[in-house]
Amino acid sequence: MRHSLHLTGLAGLVLLQAACGNATPQAAAGQLSGRLVITGSSTCAPLVSDISKRFEGLHPAVRIDVQTGGSSRGIADVTRSIADIGMVSRDLKPSEAAELMPFVFALDGVAIILHANNPIRELADAQVKGIYTGAISNWSQVGGPDAPITVVHKASGRATLEVFLKYFGLKESSVQPDVVIGDNQQGIITVAGNPHAIGYVSVGAAEYEIGQRTLIRLLDTAGIPATTANVHAGKFPIGRPLILLTRKNPPELARHFIDYCRSEAVHDLVQDLYYAPVSAK
Amino acid sequence: MSRSTSRGARAKVADGLVQALVWGTAGTVSAVFLCLVGDLLWHGLAGIDLDFLTQGVERTGRAGGIFPILVSTFLILAVCLAVSIPIGLLTAILLSEFSRRNPTLSRLVGASLDVLAGVPSIVFGLFGNAFFCIALGMGFSILSGGLTLSCMVLPIFIRSVELGLRAVPSDYRLAGAALGMSHTSMLLKILLPAGAPGIAAGLMLGVGRALAETAALMFTSGYADRMPSSLMDSGRALSLHIYDLTQVTGGRPNAYASGVVLVALLLVINLLASWTVEHIVGGRVQRV
Repeated sequence: MRHSLHLTGLAGLVLLQAACGNATPQAAAGQLSGRLVITGSSTCAPLVSDISKRFEGLHPAVRIDVQTGGSSRGIADVTRSIADIGMVSRDLKPSEAAELMPFVFALDGVAIILHANNPIRELADAQVKGIYTGAISNWSQVGGPDAPITVVHKASGRATLEVFLKYFGLKESSVQPDVVIGDNQQGIITVAGNPHAIGYVSVGAAEYEIGQRTLIRLLDTAGIPATTANVHAGKFPIGRPLILLTRKNPPELARHFIDYCRSEAVHDLVQDLYYAPVSAK
Repeated sequence: MSRSTSRGARAKVADGLVQALVWGTAGTVSAVFLCLVGDLLWHGLAGIDLDFLTQGVERTGRAGGIFPILVSTFLILAVCLAVSIPIGLLTAILLSEFSRRNPTLSRLVGASLDVLAGVPSIVFGLFGNAFFCIALGMGFSILSGGLTLSCMVLPIFIRSVELGLRAVPSDYRLAGAALGMSHTSMLLKILLPAGAPGIAAGLMLGVGRALAETAALMFTSGYADRMPSSLMDSGRALSLHIYDLTQVTGGRPNAYASGVVLVALLLVINLLASWTVEHIVGGRVQRV
């Protein structure tokens, strides 16, 4: 009696498996299951964590673990198969891009900020370059008041630093900073607290802080206003992509999740963290 | 006569100066503490209510609460203490009581502890990730985080307990030996109770270091902010949550609120730990 019951159960299981096997190609909605490990950039992590919660809500059998540790770690973990998806918040080096498949899912603009009371309204690229190399050390040299310029620079290894140096054609060793800071928030607080400071931070973060009446001002770059809208439209010249990357031939679930991260369904989450979403093509 | 009075006056001035200096520095230290706590309370207190303590994380921590984070933090701390306290007590007993029998071993243990105590926490994090998460296959989990923390906490805990035990007057040991007490009962009935202040201090320092830790946990217990369902789940610690919130645009108010919770937690746990050790372990020796 018991024996036969077992057999029926087993047969049922086999049938179920066969049915599932057949169903995988159309398993788009509701049928996804499994576990994804995502590691990398601490800039991307909060956003991807938010998106993965919504994704888990749509697909209850899916579990996504988001971990941080920096862009380079994301690349290393995917390469070593410790993670299914890596998060990177800078351009990939050619050597890194060769082995992996990158997908841009959001954009972050980087712009120059000054203290709100600074009368300077625009700086040419060459002037910014001069200020950061120390060739220009007083605001009077660029049409401002007679006051020494406090140059706020990011710590070595930060993605925004690399983006900034690349656009202005600067070498890290040629920059003469007065203050070295870590993340965007620290940069904004430093400039807001010093009327003669100049710094560069994420456009979205600066826009939010200006909305909070923090005493900073965003400067145009190459005549283009630093706004999230311009970053979104691809007009603003300084920026970095937020990237998800996988090994070649990613698992089904990873591909679904990446598609979801690039879809309109998560634009509100991307904007909620003051980044610009990418429009799905 | 006059020479001695002038000397007396000079001594008085010197005394006054030293007194002012001592009071001044003590006041400065307290002022730094008060400024810090004041700033934290000023910005953070408004954000704390029952919902903040009992709800899940939403909008990357800018909305909702910190309940799953609190649960993860407690679990990580529990794993850490469950491992650290027995190992720590036994090692401290070895170092303080049996070092004369085997000086080379205890010098070796002592030296390695001192080196470990000076290692930056990020190194423990990388080690924990390589050893517990990858080599032992525990993955990003509360267990990996707790074990990594116990590696960090052990050197401090052991050294404090050892100092506490060494501070027990040797008369106690001699008297115990004269009464024919066995090593075990001397340890349990006299040395540990008399060394309770050292154990309490070690526990407080250890808990403090564990709760404040960010770097070692980022790579071990991880970043997941959902409610952990077992020790093998990844769980975000409160300090890591605060660190993450300071990097998220608009996350500052809840970073402050979480900071207030962390400081309150630290105070409560420390008071509880020192009370427990003093009254339950130390109580015995006072009754004698």
